[in-house]
Amino acid sequence: MTDALLRTGVLIKHNIVLRLRDPGQLISYMVVPMVLMLVFKPLYVKALDGSTLEAVTGPLVMFSVFALAIVGNSILLEREWRTWDRLRVTRATRTELLLGKTVPVFVALVLQQLVLLLYGCLIIGLPVPGSLLYIALAIMVWGFTLLAIGSALATVVRSRGDLHLATDLGSIIVSSLGGAVVPVSLMPSWAVPVAHFSPGYWGLTMIQSAVRGDVGETLRCAWVCLAIGAVFGVFAVHRLSRGWGRSRLL
Amino acid sequence: MLEAAEVTKSYGEVRALNGFSLTVDAGEIVGLVGHNGAGKSTFVEIVSGLIRPDAGTVTIGGRDPARARSDVGVCPQHISLYRPVTVREHLRLFGGLAGLRRAALRQEIDRLVTALRLGEFCDRPVGVLSGGQQRRAQAAVALIHRPVLLLMDEPTAGADPETRQALLEVIRDRAGEGAAVVYTTHYLPELTELDATLAVARAGRVIARGTSVELLDKLPGEVRVTFADEKEVCVSTDDPTGTLVDLLARADRPVTAVDVRKPSLDDLYRSLAVDDD
Ligand SMILES: Nc1ncnc2c1ncn2[C@@H]1O[C@H](COP(=O)(O)OP(=O)(O)OP(=O)(O)O)[C@@H](O)[C@H]1O
Ligand SMILES: [Mg+2]
Repeated sequence: MTDALLRTGVLIKHNIVLRLRDPGQLISYMVVPMVLMLVFKPLYVKALDGSTLEAVTGPLVMFSVFALAIVGNSILLEREWRTWDRLRVTRATRTELLLGKTVPVFVALVLQQLVLLLYGCLIIGLPVPGSLLYIALAIMVWGFTLLAIGSALATVVRSRGDLHLATDLGSIIVSSLGGAVVPVSLMPSWAVPVAHFSPGYWGLTMIQSAVRGDVGETLRCAWVCLAIGAVFGVFAVHRLSRGWGRSRLL
Repeated sequence: MLEAAEVTKSYGEVRALNGFSLTVDAGEIVGLVGHNGAGKSTFVEIVSGLIRPDAGTVTIGGRDPARARSDVGVCPQHISLYRPVTVREHLRLFGGLAGLRRAALRQEIDRLVTALRLGEFCDRPVGVLSGGQQRRAQAAVALIHRPVLLLMDEPTAGADPETRQALLEVIRDRAGEGAAVVYTTHYLPELTELDATLAVARAGRVIARGTSVELLDKLPGEVRVTFADEKEVCVSTDDPTGTLVDLLARADRPVTAVDVRKPSLDDLYRSLAVDDD
């Protein structure tokens, strides 16, 4: 047991080092939404009766989806460098390997959302949420959902180009359909039912409900996000534990 | 230590392994040679537990490869290291995963740094190292936890003579301490230096197995006699010395040169392993 914990610790530390040596993506996915929040604030405030909620949560969700690229890259690199198989030959179990790989990325995803919310409160004028507990829950659940989707994506793409195509296009489609660019209430009528098929919709609604203090709605959306995450997560775990060997891909 | 019997593995139409059998004892170095695509690396991948064979059995110290991972050290044919991570950090990572801590880990790292001469580039990221330096790092990672079964898949490809020498020395030492070693290479003189027994693979199976002396014994040598009139007689024979004596006894002109060539590992390799197609 302690051995397993020590090994997991070793792996987490190693993956943090990898994250820290390639911080560019995370930094830009934090800075760009900050700028967007500033630029779009007047527009959203005017369209939505003085509320800053959309101005903050819209870019937040959009760029959290962009961060799928960080999750994907972290796994894709293990394939490119052939290091995943090397790890699989060590004493570390499948669970330890997966925890070591995903915990630091999860922390990065949560950190990104936290920083953006904090910025929203301090600079954009988002009212400080009443219940930090539900905010924390929403951020963690959304982080988990993204982690699962990103990991699943990284196990099936054929190249880094594919991954970025998927995350770039995917982010824009998922977040705009989900209401992160134009609030669902202002979308054309045909798009409203479609929004429910976008994970972005559930993430955005969950975070907005948590900020407003609507516990019931936060939990309802959290269940949907967890379910989406579970489906992608099971697939990713299955694929990762088999490894790729000499796959034709990459 | 390692027992593999009748292992089969196919990829679609390609039969990578086709009844591959090999036994390696503790302390033994087996030189696994064979043409490109003979199945050497596939065998290594199966023994490391990375892929499952379609048929046949593999055991390491009596256990399934998946359960014996802590006993195995693998040096894959292709560089598989984290480019932004230094050599020392690699050794800490893989040593740590094998359960080495603090002083024991430091000591093991220091030993390898000295033995494989990693000192000058140990604290540089792998991505900036030369090919041969990466080779050395790659081998060090396989050795850090003192595995009892070492799978070295062309560890010296692209290495300079000094690196090659250092690596062979470490491997000999490990075998001396009781490790079983499977060593694949296309550079046959290394096997003599390692005092390895041979396993010649061809088209997915081992077609010859034994010490080099045993295997070379079965090959004909060559006797060449040159006469004063510059004519030459060249005979392929199982008994070079006897044949030479016989030729000299029957010579009717002055002989100016004789040459007895014993079969070399290269001859052995050519006679056994080279794929006809
Ligand atoms: N994952 C795979 N998918 C398809 N074919 C494969 C795969 N792995 C191995 N093969 C095929 O199996 C055969 C044996 O390959 P292997 O790498 O074991 O040869 P090798 O003896 O190591 O050759 P070399 O000396 O060139 O390293 C080859 O024909 C190879 O193309
Ligand atoms: Mg090979």
